[in-house]
Formats: sequence, structure tokens, C-alpha cells
Amino acid sequence: MKKPLVGIIDMSTNNILSIKRALEYIGFEAIIINEQINVEKFDLLVLPGVGAYHEAMKKLRDTKLILLIEQALNKNKNFLGICLGMQLLFEESEEFGFTKGIGFFKGKVKNFNKFNVEKQTFIGWNRIKFETKQLLIQEKSIEKDLQNSAFYFVHSLFVNCENKEIEAGASFNGDLNFSSIVKKDKVIAFQFHPEKSGNSGLILLKNLFENLLQ
Amino acid sequence: MIKRIIARLDIKNNFLVKGMHLEGLRILGYPEFFAEKYFEENVDEIIFQDVVASLYKRNQLSSLTNKISKNIFVPITVGGGIRNINDIKKALVNGADRVSINTAAVNDKKFIKESVELFGSSTITITIETLKVGEKYKVFTDSGRTETNIDTFDWIKEVQDMRVGEIILTSINNEGTGKGFDLDLYKKASTICKISLLAHGGTRNLEDVYKLFLNTDIDGVVVASAFHFNYYKELLNKKEILLQGSTDFLKNKDKKNIFFFGIQDLKKYLKSKNINIR
Repeated sequence: MKKPLVGIIDMSTNNILSIKRALEYIGFEAIIINEQINVEKFDLLVLPGVGAYHEAMKKLRDTKLILLIEQALNKNKNFLGICLGMQLLFEESEEFGFTKGIGFFKGKVKNFNKFNVEKQTFIGWNRIKFETKQLLIQEKSIEKDLQNSAFYFVHSLFVNCENKEIEAGASFNGDLNFSSIVKKDKVIAFQFHPEKSGNSGLILLKNLFENLLQ
Repeated sequence: MIKRIIARLDIKNNFLVKGMHLEGLRILGYPEFFAEKYFEENVDEIIFQDVVASLYKRNQLSSLTNKISKNIFVPITVGGGIRNINDIKKALVNGADRVSINTAAVNDKKFIKESVELFGSSTITITIETLKVGEKYKVFTDSGRTETNIDTFDWIKEVQDMRVGEIILTSINNEGTGKGFDLDLYKKASTICKISLLAHGGTRNLEDVYKLFLNTDIDGVVVASAFHFNYYKELLNKKEILLQGSTDFLKNKDKKNIFFFGIQDLKKYLKSKNINIR
């Protein structure tokens, strides 16, 4: 059987190798995209991210990769944003001043430092309250496994998506509740790093895309 | 917050090495086998540290990182000899998720500020190697070889102000000795430090780690020798591991100063003591 094809959008300041390896591990053929190409042939596009918001947006504009992303979103392609890649899908961010984002999801990316949180820069493992139905995960044992697992987060900024109907997972930093998963049709975004969340991250990705790609 | 259990692999010339007080390095084997084993054992994170990079002003860890990180799906921090933006890019492209910087942070503060702006706070970890001299804790660089005049607690504050994401605080006095942790150091440091703070140096047994988490606000523990020595025998049975170095000291494990335990043992123990663990 032909492997599904994933395109990973390269902004050159991110950990694309880890994402590539994790997606290959769960059965994808992965290609790194660093120029504007036709999105038609891809079964999934991934916008990864570590790095600073304004640098990433600038890079996406300079390289015109922003057009490819908009094309994929308009054509209702399977699309996954990870960490900064999730935040970029929102309207704007206040990291080092205000920067306009892609604006697919409604909401603003905010800094933890203005809220009552445990860590202003959160580096480590955190639990997620999953809305597994939204993620099309039906198997009880997997659902239980995910709800009890911890996932790897690194972030100083967060989003609280305005439309709670599309929030598929939420987490806490101290008293602050934020969106850790957002999903609207075929566009899904994780605040955490599934490619770095041990076996639980791989299980989540595998189940999610098995269902999405059916 | 969930406390993190982190394995540190010190690398010299592509081999896993381990010393004492950051010196007297012995070769233990190929790092990729240890790293894979630690991932299987559910470690939360792995640090690769080139222990001679800074001294020799080089940065060779990237190709090795690429190889070692292949089947590791937990975060990887790479350190040793990172002194410019390009070094960071190279590390990230080759499978690192974060980089740790010590010597270059002391020598070139502008570089740290630039890195934070370019890669985001959470990508930049500062390693602080500290030695207690009399009643004072002083900062050292070049893997504990070069003394500075900087006070450790002042440096923690300064590093924090540079908006880095995390600090790894190594006690040179206790590192590799199995003396247990310098609880006074970590108590004081974790009171000052508002960002993520990891303790490294001196792990002797399970109880030490429990006491560290119980008595301080440390976010995670970095363990090297205790894990290496625990898995060493099992990994030695893998034919692929050809050892060059002197590891006879490990064959007699009940020898003084050799302390070891497994990752799962540690996690089980901490859970039984109600420490929040993954």
C-alpha cells in the first residue's frame, strides 16, 4: 500500500527532523517543504515550530510559504500546526510586541507573564483534558490512555480559542486554563509537541490520522 | 507541575564518558545505545553534552546528535561548544529541541539575547557550573575548568533577566561523586529562580532524588552515572558495543562510590512517595 504523503513546512529555525521522524515512524512518507509548491499531492501538511512569532511570520512572508499555507487551508487539506505552528494559525500574538498571524482561528496569542501561572515559561510535561469525540478517537482503551498521559509542552505564550466548540483539549498552567488542542474540520493544532511526547504522542498522532485519512 | 527525570550523556569523541567533578573521564560505550535504552525506560528527556567542545573551541556534536536522536521521541537538549547562532541552527536541524549554553553565555551576553529573540525563550537553556569555595558559590566555565569571579546566585538572576527558558545548575563539588545533592544550593537557587530549574550533580540513591523534590522547588533532576552504571551491564551484552576504555571499575559494583538505579525504579519510588511524575 502506498504510504500517505506529508509535507513539513520548513522555516529553518525549527526542529523539523524530530517531526519528520515521528511521522515516518507512524507510517507517513515525509517531505520537507521550503519553497512554494503545489499542495495538491499531499495528504497532510504540517506547520511546526519552535522560535519567535514575528521571525516565523516574517520568514513565511519572505519565502511566500504563507501562500502555500493559505492555499492548503482554503482547499480543506489535512493540516497540523504544532506549538508555534498552532499559535501562527491564530489572529495575532503579543510576543515581543504585536505581530499579525495567519488568522485561521479566532483568538489572540498571549504571554503567560500577565497571568497567575505556575511557570512563565513552561518547559515540561502537562496533562490534557481531551475531547476525544472531536478527535474521532472512539476506542475506550486509547481514550483512557490519553486522558492519563502527560505530553511535552514548551511555551511562554498560549491561546484561549474564542470558539469553545472547536477546543479539543485544554490544560492548566497554575490557575490558568488554556487551549492545548484546537480542531476545526481537517485543521488541527497542538500546543504541545506530539513528536516529543514519548509513546503517548505517537499513539495520538497515529489514531488521529488513521481516522482523518480514511 | 510534573517533576522531570532527565538523563545526561556526556560525550567525548563520539563516546559516552563519565567523570567525577566534571574531570577524569572514562569511556563507557556508544551513546546511541544508552539513549535508546533510556527512551524505552520512559525517561522524560535526554541531554547530550560535549564535555570538551568548549575547551577545544569546537562543535562536533551535530552529526552525532543526528544519529543518536533517530529513535528518541522525547526532548533532546544539546550542549557543549555552542557559541553562535549558526551552532544553534545546526543543533536544531540535527534533532535537538533545545540547546544549553554555559561558557558562551558568560563571555558573550549579547549572543544570548539574540538567541532568545531568534529562537524563543524556551529553546535556550543556560548551564551553570558552580563550585563552593569557602562559603561562596562561584561560576565556572569550560566544563568546570575555568574559574570566574561571578557569584552563582547573582548569575542566576542575570540569566533570568535575559529571558532564557531554563537553567541547569551543576554542583561541581558533588558531580559524579554520589555524595547526594547539595540541598542548600538548590533550596536557595530555586527560591531565586522563577524559570525552570534543573539540578545536576551528586545523585546517590532514590531517596536523594525524593529529598531534592521534597525540600526544594527544583523542576527536574539530571542524572548521569546512576543510570549509566545501572544499564551498563545489560548494554554491554549487545555485541555492537566495543569498549575502548577502562570500565573494570564497574564490574565490581559493590565498590565504594558506585551508585546506580534504573529509570523505572526511580519513577516507581517517587510515585509511591506522591511526587508528581509522568
